[in-house]
Order: sequence, then structure tokens, then C-alpha cells
Amino acid sequence: MLRIENLCKKLGSFELTDINLNIEKDEYFIVLGPTGTGKTVLLELIAGMYQPDKGSVWFGDAKISDLYPEQRSIGFVYQDYALFPHLTVKENIFFGIKCRGIDVNEGNKRFREIVDFLNIEYLLDRFPSTLSGGEQQRTAIARALVTSPRILLLDEPLSALDPRTKQIFQEELRRIHDNLKTTTLHITHDFSEAMALGSQVGVLHNGEIMQVGKPMEVFRHPNSHFVAEFVGAENIIEGHGRGKTIEVSNNINIETIMDKTGPSTLTIRPEDIIISREKLFSSAQNNIPGKIINMIHQGPLYRITVDADIALTALVTMQAVEEMGLQKDMPVWVAFKSAAVHVL
Amino acid sequence: MEKSEVRGQNILFTAVISISIAFLTGFIILAISMVLLKGLPNMIPSILSREIQFAIKLSFLTSVISTLLCIAIAVPVSYGMSRLEFFGKRFVSTVLDIPIALPPIVSGVALLLLFGTTEFGHALAARGIQFIFTPLGIILAQFFVNVPYMIKVLGSTMNDIDPRMEFVARTLGCSRLQAFFKITLPLARSGLMAGIVITWARALGEFGAALMLAGATRLKTETLPVSLFLNMSCGDLKLALAAASLLIIISVLSLFLFEIMGGKQYELSRSSLY
Ligand SMILES: Nc1ncnc2c1ncn2[C@@H]1O[C@H](COP(=O)(O)OP(=O)(O)OP(=O)(O)O)[C@@H](O)[C@H]1O
Ligand SMILES: [Mg+2]
Repeated sequence: MLRIENLCKKLGSFELTDINLNIEKDEYFIVLGPTGTGKTVLLELIAGMYQPDKGSVWFGDAKISDLYPEQRSIGFVYQDYALFPHLTVKENIFFGIKCRGIDVNEGNKRFREIVDFLNIEYLLDRFPSTLSGGEQQRTAIARALVTSPRILLLDEPLSALDPRTKQIFQEELRRIHDNLKTTTLHITHDFSEAMALGSQVGVLHNGEIMQVGKPMEVFRHPNSHFVAEFVGAENIIEGHGRGKTIEVSNNINIETIMDKTGPSTLTIRPEDIIISREKLFSSAQNNIPGKIINMIHQGPLYRITVDADIALTALVTMQAVEEMGLQKDMPVWVAFKSAAVHVL
Repeated sequence: MEKSEVRGQNILFTAVISISIAFLTGFIILAISMVLLKGLPNMIPSILSREIQFAIKLSFLTSVISTLLCIAIAVPVSYGMSRLEFFGKRFVSTVLDIPIALPPIVSGVALLLLFGTTEFGHALAARGIQFIFTPLGIILAQFFVNVPYMIKVLGSTMNDIDPRMEFVARTLGCSRLQAFFKITLPLARSGLMAGIVITWARALGEFGAALMLAGATRLKTETLPVSLFLNMSCGDLKLALAAASLLIIISVLSLFLFEIMGGKQYELSRSSLY
């Protein structure tokens, strides 16, 4: 439905290069990227704050990148919500209804619906400066949705909230999308939001889209070093491919299920690695001896790093650590399936 | 350093600061009260005199009109200077500031030459738009000298308004013009008020440029400052000091208003809630 084609924009020393994205109707699309990679600029280009230097934005077969922002029918919710400080919550929400010249009855009906749906009745007469972050966010979303935009752009909607509120509003965003089905483009630097909400995710880095796919796909099969690191894959190992075996050091070969020759990078997710005191005789094709060099407590888990010529990090439950009596400097075996090895 | 020495230094430091503040405050109050002491007792009869009444009326009329002109031109100019990027913007910005740096009397000479000696000036005069030695000249002089102040105050207010506010308004369906009137201008309200107060107060006191362009003719181009000047030169201290006292009262009140308006908008709208 929303199609971005070869979009380029230079702003000062920053440049968005050749962005191509395709967002289907009713989709919840997440663009993921670290700070300063041009996420906000991308949204502003779509909504019409800037003219692109090259490329275009389409709604179906209508080219919208030539239109004024007020003609694009795009709902925009900024990172800091950008509510109009001189207007009450009610006036903020009615703003779009009035500007778009929506008929009074229809406008009142939509206003009622969205206010009830988001439970913000009690805020209506207040000014934005008196609202909490979460309340401001709901107001900003109501203000955008009440005009029935074709797409809703959310710029890091959860990043200004504390962790607990964030959980609640993540659910709220899901509920909004499940019910209203507004096509949504949500931007964030937090992969867990992508996992929780996204039906598709695109990873943005230095003004370029690196990878697009279902969140789980991107998580399991990052296509580059950067994506792997950014979505939280550890154990990024360089080696030399010889068919289904990759030589990663003089005496260590890692079995994979993919044919690869020549220099290659592989990743193994920490939760796919098993640690044991004795060599395991299991279905795992990769068994490597090593020594524990680091143990970090992380909630109910331990993040254990083993020096096995190469450094490998595994996630182990506390229970397992206690049962095996794992300690720093202890010799152990690491095991993982060849299918768990992802070759980039 | 010895403990007592530290103490001594700190006391000295505080003392210097306190004395400086006290000195300057006292100095200003003293100077102003000299005028008020001499001027206030004769205020009422002086205000009733035909000459002072004329001066008050002319001052009010010219200053109000020139302030309105300042608003009309400074709003679009300051908006453009804060929102648009164009070639030569720094140059334009410097030019717009020139009247602030010039002595008003020089501005007056410049206007006099422009309207008195050029074809352009003559053409205007032939159509009845006569600036030289007329109240119209006073208005023009006030406008020329004060509009940069208005632009400065408004410009800094506009710079403080996040351009994304307007942009969000446009995503909601406003045109640029609507966004300007519904969002930017209301958000600039406090700056606009402050600009009006400062421009108007300065227009009331404008002397140098108006003197050059409009002259100082009794009961013709006699504003309050001109009245002060004329009566001072011919030795009518009573009338002169009454005019001076009036100007002081108006200025102090304006200053007070200006202080209140500076950025208090949100506190106001917030407190009006409860
Ligand atoms: N109008 C502009 N002129 C020049 N540079 C700009 C402009 N707007 C943004 N930039 C630069 O573009 C880069 C990307 O900015 P952007 O705000 O899109 O990042 P972001 O990915 O949204 O980051 P964050 O997660 O911190 O919000 C930054 O380096 C920023 O300084
Ligand atoms: Mg951003």
C-alpha cells in the first residue's frame, strides 16, 4: 500500500540513501535502527516535511511525494508527541476534524469513538503541559487517528515512557492496531518492540535499509554483521568455509547446514548453546572443549562466556548452573546443533 | 590560606557586589525622582494646557499607528527569517538590524534625504503623501527606528516555536496559512505582546529621527518629547517637566508590562484551568 522507491535525502552531513520499502495494507511495520540513523527524517519525508532529493513515495498508484503534507492523509505521532500547548486535549483532538472540514455530526461521532476507545474522557479539559507521558501519547494518537489517516506514523512512541508504562502502552498499541486496523509504521531502536508488535521489520543503519523481514526471521537470520549485533545476536565468528564446515581457528571446525566456501561470518544465538561438564553424546554436531572465563548474572539467567579458542557466549538457567556447579575457570564443553549456526 | 583570610575575602566579595547594586539602583531612582518631584506638582494644570494636550494626542496617535505598522511588517518578516532558508539570509539579517545600530538622528537624516531630495520622494509628495515636516513623518520615523526591535523580539519567539508544531498541524489537514494563524501566531502571543509594548513605548519617546524628518514645530509636529525639548529651550520648565514626568510614567508602566509578558503564557493558561 505505501511504497517508498529509491528515496534519497541529504540534510547537512547526514544522508538517507536509496530507501526502498513496501508496506502492505493493515500491516504493522517496524523500522528499527540505532539513534541518529535517520529514522525521524524518514518519517518526515513520508509525511512531507521535506522534499526528497530523489525517489518517490506512493499510496497504491498515487504518488504522494509531490503533494503537500495536508493532502497526504498521514497521521503523525512524534517522539515527544508535539501536542499543541495552547489548546486543551479536546481542542487538540478536534483540530484535525476542523481542518479537514469534516461534517459536524460525523466529527462528533469519530471524536466520541476515539475518546471512548482510548479512555481519555477524563483528560479532555486539560492542557498538554499537565499530562503524564502516557496521557500525552494517547492524546497524540487520538489526534492523529480521528482524521482516519491512511497510515499512522509513530516515531519511537514508547521510548519516552518508563519500563512499566512502556509494557502497558505496548499492549495498548497492539489493541489499537488489532481493532482499528490502521496501517502503521512504527519506528524504534528497541528490537523487543519489533518482536512484540511488528508484522514486518526493516533495519535502518547509516541512512540505509539493511534488511527487511518478519521479526523472527531477522532475529534468526541476520544478513550482516551490523544487523546481527543490533538485534542482539552474539557469537559473531569469522572463519573460512569449506563446504558444510567452517574453519574458525587452527583446530576448530564448525559444522553447518549450508554450503559455503571462502571467508565467511557466522553467528550462533547464545540460547542455542549448551554448556556441560562432560562431553555430551547428543544430536548436537558441534562439541568443543573450553574454559569458563566469565559469568554474568542476568535475571533468572547466567550469561556465560567460554574460551574455546574462540570466545562463545551461552545463556544458562540458574538452576542448571547450580546443578552443574559451574564456576569461573572451570573446564567445560560447549555444544550446539549445526542448524543453530547461521552463516551470513 | 588561613580560615579568617577566606572569610575576609568572601565578605569583601559580597560587599563589592552589594554596593554596586545598591549604588546603581539608588542612582537611577534619584535621577528620575528629581524630574518627578519637580514635574508632578504641576502635572494637572500642565496637562490641561492646550500645548500638552496636543502633544499627548499626537504622541498617542503617531505611536499607535507606527506600532500597528511595525506589527504588520514584523510578523511576516520575522516568520520568514526564522523559517525560510534563502541565499543571502545573513546579509538580509544584518541589514534588518542596521537601524538599531544607527543613532536615530542619522536614521532621520537618511529618511529626510530619501523623501526630500529624490524623485521617489517628490512623486509621493505630489500625490499628497508628504513626510517632511508633517505628523506622517513622525510615524515613518518611529516605524523605521523601531521595527527592528519588533522583529528581534518576535523573531526570537518564533525561533523558540518548534517548526514541527506547524508540520503536525499540516498533517492534520491545515494549509500553511491556517497552520500559521492557528498554531504559530497563538504560540507567539507573549512575544507579540512584549514586542507591542516595547515598540509602542519606544515610539512614544522617539525624538532624534522624528526631529530630522518632521521637525519640531509647536502645535504641529509637537509630540511629548518634542514638547519637552521646545519648552526646555525656551525656559518653560513647568511644561517641560510635566511632559518629562508623563514620559517617565508611561515608560515605567510599559517596562512593568513587558516584564509580566515575557514568556508567562503557559503559566497563565495552566492556572486558568483550576
Ligand atoms: N534539518 C536537518 N538538517 C541537518 N541535519 C539534520 C536535520 N534533521 C536531522 N538531521 C540529522 O540527520 C541525522 C538523523 O536524524 P534523525 O532525527 O532522523 O535520527 P533518528 O534515527 O530519529 O535518531 P533518534 O533515535 O535519536 O531519534 C542526525 O545526524 C541529525 O543530526
Ligand atoms: Mg528520532
